[in-house]
Amino acid sequence: MSISRRKFLGWVGAAGLSTTIGKPAAAATGKHFTGYPNSFAILHDTTLCVGCRTCEAACNKVNDLPPPDKPFTDLSVLEDRRRTTTKAFTVVNKYDNKEKSKSPVFFKKQCNHCLEPACASVCFVSAFTKTKTGAVIYDSSVCVGCRYCMIACPFEIPTYEYDQVLTPRIRKCTMCYPRVIKGQLPGCVEACPMEALSFGKREDMIKIAQERFRKYPDRYVDHVYGEHEMGGTSWLYISGTPFKELGMREDLGVTPAPQLTAGALSSVPIIAGLWPVLLAGLYAVSKRKEKIAQTEKERPAESETEEES
Amino acid sequence: MAKGKSLRIGAGISVAIIILLIGFMGVFDVTAVSKIPVDTESIEFRPDIVFFDNMEAFGKLEKTKAVFLHDQHTDALEKKNKDCLVCHKTENGRMSPKFMRLKDVSREELTKIYCDNCTKCHTETIAAGEKAGPVKCDDCHKERILIQSSRVPMGFDKSLHFRHYRAQENKCDRCHHEYDKKSQKLFYDKGKEGTCRYCHKEKPEGDDTEKVISMRFASHSACIDCHLKTRAKNMDAGPLRCAGCHDAQEQLKIEKVKNVPRLKRGQPDNVIIKTGDKKGLIARMNQVPFSHKSHEEYNDTCRVCHLASLESCATCHPLVGSNKVSKNGRDITLETAFHKRGHQSSCTGCHESKQQDKSCAGCHAFMSKTRQQESTACLRCHMVPLPEKTGVLSTSKSAKMARLMPQLWKETFGPIYMVNVPKTVVVKDLMDQYEAVEYPHQKVFNSMVKQLENSKLARYFHYDETTLCLGCHHNTPAGDKPPRCANCHDKPFNENNLFRPGIMGSFHQQCIGCHQKMGIEKYTGCTSCHKERKKQS
Repeated sequence: MSISRRKFLGWVGAAGLSTTIGKPAAAATGKHFTGYPNSFAILHDTTLCVGCRTCEAACNKVNDLPPPDKPFTDLSVLEDRRRTTTKAFTVVNKYDNKEKSKSPVFFKKQCNHCLEPACASVCFVSAFTKTKTGAVIYDSSVCVGCRYCMIACPFEIPTYEYDQVLTPRIRKCTMCYPRVIKGQLPGCVEACPMEALSFGKREDMIKIAQERFRKYPDRYVDHVYGEHEMGGTSWLYISGTPFKELGMREDLGVTPAPQLTAGALSSVPIIAGLWPVLLAGLYAVSKRKEKIAQTEKERPAESETEEES
Repeated sequence: MAKGKSLRIGAGISVAIIILLIGFMGVFDVTAVSKIPVDTESIEFRPDIVFFDNMEAFGKLEKTKAVFLHDQHTDALEKKNKDCLVCHKTENGRMSPKFMRLKDVSREELTKIYCDNCTKCHTETIAAGEKAGPVKCDDCHKERILIQSSRVPMGFDKSLHFRHYRAQENKCDRCHHEYDKKSQKLFYDKGKEGTCRYCHKEKPEGDDTEKVISMRFASHSACIDCHLKTRAKNMDAGPLRCAGCHDAQEQLKIEKVKNVPRLKRGQPDNVIIKTGDKKGLIARMNQVPFSHKSHEEYNDTCRVCHLASLESCATCHPLVGSNKVSKNGRDITLETAFHKRGHQSSCTGCHESKQQDKSCAGCHAFMSKTRQQESTACLRCHMVPLPEKTGVLSTSKSAKMARLMPQLWKETFGPIYMVNVPKTVVVKDLMDQYEAVEYPHQKVFNSMVKQLENSKLARYFHYDETTLCLGCHHNTPAGDKPPRCANCHDKPFNENNLFRPGIMGSFHQQCIGCHQKMGIEKYTGCTSCHKERKKQS
């Protein structure tokens, strides 16, 4: 026997340590993903939005959603802070303009279609797919209803059909994937009378944003929200008021959500695979020791030489 | 044994990691020292708060800054029929704004002046059975100051200047002076009057023998001294309390004279702004005839344009320079000084700021701030000189220009907009949910003309009809009949024309955007412009 108890425990400890130290997180994901080339994006220019709710109506129509409690022409709902629901994939909220009290700011909220979506990375049945068009789509046929996606989403977007007993689904904006692959515009973009929403290649949308900053420097905050937030999103926003005042988180950083957990998650196979073997070995060794002790008791007065390290 | 050593190292690392983890979890987090929250409501705002911070000149303070409420003391003394001389000394018949001294003294002396005099008076008052201020050190030098300054700067506007001018029987020398270096005395130089701040800066300047006192010191010693003396003669005089000048509400109570007569300092009515500098360099631009007189009307003080002196612009600004921002601005070129955007002292900067006016913003807010103006726009100011035959006797070119100016301007102001514009335009390209829009084209045009006529500046730069049309019909060659909007604005999001909005977007952005900027609230909601379309079944 060339292995001592102490040495063995050392190995176990080392195996445990190596899993916690791990490699740098980025290395585990392979390489940094900056979105599919030529994928689409939508640019929301809040300085142009007039809060008419036409986009909400169009979204309702193209997604065959149930009629709303209050009609879309009723602008009083803008006074409340609304969030997306299973029946409304997009909502427009009204925010006070601190500089010009007479002209409030309207901000449209829906799924931001992250380049590396947190919802897709937490979903263990792969119900979410980041498509090459830029849309993050959902497949209800494989969904088990764990709602991890709802917890993972930094923008609190996915909603769950709690009222459906048998076939509850996660509901969120699809960036009109079915329409876009047919060559149509997303419902909200097509309907927006002010062209406050622009649709096109993501690089082009960033170019448009930059051009507007250049032409009207005093109209905008010099930042394209979503260009880098959470590793980048397929919805981009420009505004004249700081995004914090529009209920958008500015603490998200530029790291995509999957990268934040990839390091820890990559150690799961090691722990799941290696530790049972080690622990079983530990058990076997102790069993064997007992057995030897038993034999020694039965047959005493033999030479006993144990190696020490 | 080597293996044993590595195991011990391994164990050490794991212990260290565990400690770090615990540390991150906040168990050992003792660094965050809780700060005492300051209740914002309990803070009082006063215009008369004075921090005795002049001790800072001697280095680090031993104690916190003492806080002094000036008006409180003035009022208390007035009740006892005591005057300012209790605290302020006089020299040559003029009261010094400094406390109990005339000149700057050493640190020890200054500390003594403040501590002894304050506590002495407070102790005496308390002994007389009256309420008084602190006598202990820490009651003046407080750790937390719950009073903040609401002082607003004070300055002479045209109206206030005129009222003083009138009250001083038109004698400028009572305030204005120059400094004679030889005799080290102040004297009055007629025709050289400037604003106080040209010499009296924020901080004292110059060496000890010829120190130019700060604006703060100069204004408080001159203004208050005069107000005091005038009151002593039982005449109306300006404020003596801090609040009288430095409180926002009190400032509003200061009487304003309408139609202030022009200042008399020998300034010209019209100027030819030369396009060369003092070194003799000449730019190849036409000279600019400039109405000094009318620009005086629009500004409250000369300092708006004449930042550092009342000399001509070229005195300080060179034709060629590095354009580095320095203290005296002498590296800023003439070109920049006249055309710098966003600067209130430059021609372009000031004129552009007027575009934010409601009646202008409807069109101008949509114009790119980085656009390059056409060369014809340059000629609005850099005028082409009139031909010789207009019959001017003077040989000097600039004199000729000066004489011609009124004639030039007459031609350029007040154009009669006789454009034949369509009465209504029906927009039916987009009929779907709504009926076609009947756009009252002529009504909008007429209202724009009306707005324009109210402003001399606008009339000058909108020199012909087409400049007015360009607000909507942008990129249209001047004088031409504009193309239809849909000729350029087609389907949205064209990759070949990224920055061009589609037809629906451009209509709505232009109409709604203009209405928003001009504050026209009459048209809100879709149906105020469109009629809902009845679906044909």
